Amino acid sequence: MSIIEFKNVTFRYDSDDEGVVLAPAVKDFSLTINEGEFMAILGHNGSGKSTLAKLANGLLLPEKGDVIVSGMNTKNEDDDIKIKQTVGVVFQNPDNQIVATIVEEDVAFGPENLGVEPSEIRRRVDDSLKIVGMYKYKNHEPHKLSGGQKQRVAIAGIIAMEPRCIILDEPTAMLDPEGRRDVMNAIKRLNRELGITVVYITHYMEEACEADRIVVMDDSRLLMDGTPKEVFADTEKIRSIGLDVPQTCQLAKMLKSDGINLKNDLLSIDELVENIDDLLKGQ
Amino acid sequence: MIKDITIGQYFPFNSVIHRLDPRTKLLFTVVFIIMVFVSNNFISLFFNLLLSAVVIGLSKIPLKTVIKGLKPILLVVIITSVLQIAYVKTGIVLVDFWKIQITSGGILTAIFMAIRISLLIVMSTMLTYTTSPTSLTNGLDKTFAPFKKIGIDFHTVTMIMTIALRFIPTLIEEVDKIMSAQKSRGASFEQGNIMKRAKALIPLFIPLLFNSIRRAYELANAMTCRCYNGGQGKTTMNALKFAKRDYMSLLVMAFLIAGVVVLNIFCGEYNAEFTFNLAI
Repeated sequence: MSIIEFKNVTFRYDSDDEGVVLAPAVKDFSLTINEGEFMAILGHNGSGKSTLAKLANGLLLPEKGDVIVSGMNTKNEDDDIKIKQTVGVVFQNPDNQIVATIVEEDVAFGPENLGVEPSEIRRRVDDSLKIVGMYKYKNHEPHKLSGGQKQRVAIAGIIAMEPRCIILDEPTAMLDPEGRRDVMNAIKRLNRELGITVVYITHYMEEACEADRIVVMDDSRLLMDGTPKEVFADTEKIRSIGLDVPQTCQLAKMLKSDGINLKNDLLSIDELVENIDDLLKGQ
Repeated sequence: MIKDITIGQYFPFNSVIHRLDPRTKLLFTVVFIIMVFVSNNFISLFFNLLLSAVVIGLSKIPLKTVIKGLKPILLVVIITSVLQIAYVKTGIVLVDFWKIQITSGGILTAIFMAIRISLLIVMSTMLTYTTSPTSLTNGLDKTFAPFKKIGIDFHTVTMIMTIALRFIPTLIEEVDKIMSAQKSRGASFEQGNIMKRAKALIPLFIPLLFNSIRRAYELANAMTCRCYNGGQGKTTMNALKFAKRDYMSLLVMAFLIAGVVVLNIFCGEYNAEFTFNLAI
């Protein structure tokens, strides 16, 4: 079942200068995101991937085409709140997403706006903080937390609205490796334990490998769509749009061009090691 | 230097004062300010001083922090005191040198004013020290909710306040960062005359302003994503409810007001000569 459907969507931003018409940020884009999926969207800067996030919950409205969120068209203003509750978006800079001065009060912001009962808000806030591993910081001030912790609070703030889908727009771009790992683990838990659909926008290949499905965007259009193994098997195509492939894929490719007969779809280090091991045993 | 700003800071301790309803604390602050202004003699003022000491003690906030909060207004206190010494000419003349004449009345009035201003600041900062901005704004929201009927939407004002308080530490951090960046490229903020220093601040303020506008835009997006629609049909997690301790504090407040009034009448208006003689 689909949760978000892009139907031939075109969108362009307004130009600051009068009379100048900008090139569309998203051009004739169609994609169906299925319920329960963990999808990664890859793309170069300016490829239109962030615009997709804002189109998906009605923050931006398409110029042409439609975006359908579980049966509701984002153009229909009456469904606006319902759509934003169904599809939550987490942005890049955690500092600019936190509204309140205490962690738990910030997490409560979403459900409070939705008019949820106080006792139910309390339960949701506690549960959300626990799933991202920030429960013991619930009485802290956000500005005293690290970047990764702040981003996890921002994620908890979205989960507390009980959305069916979460879109994360480069949530780890401003974080250190440790923060990045913590955030990634929290996101994986959302998908596996709560069954929330995750759309993960990134340009880190290693992170994209964690997804079930990868969509690659280039020049405002959809370029590739498939499982990580399928997508990264086509090293040339990925390279041609200025993206890197994971190091394992790169190594496998180099070995193969030297005449070593490796498999085509190696992604993890373990798989590569195993394959090389098999080859050595066969000799 | 920037890190010294404590206005609007909140210390999340677990004390009786922290647990009080924000509306009680708001009312208490207003009552206290009135009490300080009404006090017209040293004994009444001392009574107020004692009261603030009790509040600080109960709140578990270190005295050092409270005193540090006074630093930014030190200059105001000093100027006020100097003016009092210069203008009040009552009591015994202590120093008479050239055009300067210092009297006992002047000095006592100066001390009186200094304590008065300090008390006002201490108690207003105690409000923010012990009340989280969200609960403070919730309190304001609730208090001013009736105004909505006559077309004044106080919710917007309280939301602006919350966000401003939330972003003070973030912007302080940012100023520090920009300053270091400019310094590393040879800018100096502490040298030269006033004009030069003011000019040096321009490359500090422009990026700060620019970034703030960008932040505002991103925050607006994030708030929209969290279904913010101007506070319509909003509920609150920690719904405000008057507890027994709030009613108790209201009762205590009533007695305190009565106390100050009685002290004022009993001890009479502040009289420099009288107090001075008393001091000796």
